[in-house]
Amino acid sequence: MRTQTTPGDSPATTGNASAERGSKADRGSRSDRFATRVFGPAAMSFPTWAYILFFFIAPVALVVFYSFGYKPDEFTAVATDQLTLERYPEAMSGAFVSTFFATLRISVLGTILCLLIALPFAYWLAIKVSPARRSLALALVMVPFWTNFLVRTLGWQIMLSPDGFLSNWMQGLGLLDAPLDILYTRTAVQIGVVYNYLPLMILPLFVAIDASGHKLREASYDLGAGKVTTFLKVTLPMALPGVVSGCLLVFIPLNGDYVTATVLGGASGSMIGQLIANQFNTAQNWALGAAMAMILILATLAVVGIGFALLWLGQRIAGRLNSVQLTDGRV
Amino acid sequence: MERRPDVRFLAPRTAAARLSRRAVLAGFGVVGLGALSACGRTTKMAASPAVDGELESKLNLYTWGDYDNPELIDAFRNQNDVLVQVDAYGSNEELIAKLATSRGTSGYDVVVPTGSNIPQMLEHKLLQELDLELIPNFTHMDPNFTHQYFDPENRYSICKAWGTTGYVYNTTKISREMTSWQDFIDAAQDEAAGTTSLLEDPWEVSAIALASLGYSLNTEDEEELEEARSIILEQVAPNTKAYIGNVATGMIQGSFTLLQAFNGDARQGMSEVADPENWKFVFPTPTANLWMDNWTIATGAPHPDAAHAFINHMISPDTAIEQLDYIGYPIGIKGLQEQAQQADLSLPELIFPTQEVLDRLEASKKTPADQIRTDIFADAQARSGA
Repeated sequence: MRTQTTPGDSPATTGNASAERGSKADRGSRSDRFATRVFGPAAMSFPTWAYILFFFIAPVALVVFYSFGYKPDEFTAVATDQLTLERYPEAMSGAFVSTFFATLRISVLGTILCLLIALPFAYWLAIKVSPARRSLALALVMVPFWTNFLVRTLGWQIMLSPDGFLSNWMQGLGLLDAPLDILYTRTAVQIGVVYNYLPLMILPLFVAIDASGHKLREASYDLGAGKVTTFLKVTLPMALPGVVSGCLLVFIPLNGDYVTATVLGGASGSMIGQLIANQFNTAQNWALGAAMAMILILATLAVVGIGFALLWLGQRIAGRLNSVQLTDGRV
Repeated sequence: MERRPDVRFLAPRTAAARLSRRAVLAGFGVVGLGALSACGRTTKMAASPAVDGELESKLNLYTWGDYDNPELIDAFRNQNDVLVQVDAYGSNEELIAKLATSRGTSGYDVVVPTGSNIPQMLEHKLLQELDLELIPNFTHMDPNFTHQYFDPENRYSICKAWGTTGYVYNTTKISREMTSWQDFIDAAQDEAAGTTSLLEDPWEVSAIALASLGYSLNTEDEEELEEARSIILEQVAPNTKAYIGNVATGMIQGSFTLLQAFNGDARQGMSEVADPENWKFVFPTPTANLWMDNWTIATGAPHPDAAHAFINHMISPDTAIEQLDYIGYPIGIKGLQEQAQQADLSLPELIFPTQEVLDRLEASKKTPADQIRTDIFADAQARSGA
């Protein structure tokens, strides 16, 4: 095969064109060979790898790279001509660790609360609601997403404020004898995150419970199991993948959230995302902010890993208990 | 029975044999390294197009939140057919971060930094020279607010507004007469414990303690700053509920009893709360900040003609009173106080501090000790959250 200089020197620059010509190339063998030679095989899968590369690998690599840099002067955010590990201990000093654990508390509690609220709701939605009305109910779950995240959170700021309608209304009913005092506290942040992330828990749970199917539940009833036993032994285990993905979808973004805490948190409800955003936006120290972000990513992965380990352990124990019942039971 | 799927991936048959995982990963590596190496450090600033006397169709204004009368901006748009886009920041640091990292490609034309930040911004070429011939209304400026230390010849900046810092308190909760920063610290530990708010600004927060100790607010003395640190951390921070930029919002929500505040923001809050008679603003003794925000044009501004015309429009003496009434800060035009008296604005004593107050104020400056102030602020925030 003759060597030929190709017009573009990187696959990225020519990839788009190749995607367009690929279908035509199959018709004639000459153009087929031409396409292969010019664009190369990697270009054929351009959309997939370009997406991962440009929207995941490159940004994360950049954050890793910056985390080894330093801040040379007041008006430069980052320099990487000398690489150093010093940003990591610097990031771990100060308020970072205590704020991280405060954040972890908010996100673990938030995930559990979301699960407790979403589970009965998703069950109701998937099993009790008639199929005709189900799409309407699902649409209503989605409606809040049509409004901007920040605007919804600001709505809670107005609602929770001591002069807000909730406070006035509760005082009017005699439920409170002083104005509501939870704005700018950790409680306000907790309420805000549960509200903001609840749909992300409901949707995967709904899909999982919906997919678990009517027939298995009917079989369970036929075999003499009650409603509770059927839920615990059939529906819930079948919905477990939904529970896991729902928890991941809620926990991971929640751990890095900073909008909710900025709007509702005040001095006592601050979250780790705010510290990182501060380094990037205000202190202009990208190296330190990148190191903090890396630590947050690793710590979040560690927490998720621990969660999976506990889940695996729990399943093994539960599996053993179940299998004992099956072999030693009335058979 | 297991069957291999007919389609594993989409590629021409001739290419499929060579399309291995390794090839794709190698491709990742090449492009990734290229991307990284493109992120080197450059210090060159993009240049702005030259002024040619013809207004561009757009103007990007980057300023403090709610800091201009929207009617004046609308009027500028209607008169000149220039679309004005307004974007807001909450601190000088945020503004500088954007301008410094974008190296003249931020797209912002007019920016409004506080005077104390201007020397460093000039040193790093973040601002471009003004052409005062395109801003004829400059001749109406009060000489008290031109030729400042940070820009002695007004080559880069024109006064936008000036004001001072004090505090506002709810008289139903704090009944005694408050006059000094020491009163602020005492009340924060007593009637206003847990319902105090501080400004989201390291210099202003440390200034509370420095003023109460009688030190210069711009001190670089480490021992003085250490004393200020212990007052802030032990007496003020544990009683602080939030650090907020917009005091008016805090007053309306009803979460606070005592708020450190800029005078104009406090006036805005008092005009919006349901019970203005229960709020009182103090110009505290012995001293406080005297700050001045300035109209400037960012280096690399894409619409320089419109930027000059806009600044000229906003400092016009004909509309000065409308701007003043909206923002609550004097804008440095000659004879504005007399105009304000005739116009019968609300709470004029909050807009124009008396000469006695003005004489004791101290303008904030950037110093090498700012790092200590930033540390005090970060520790205070952590202490408030504990």
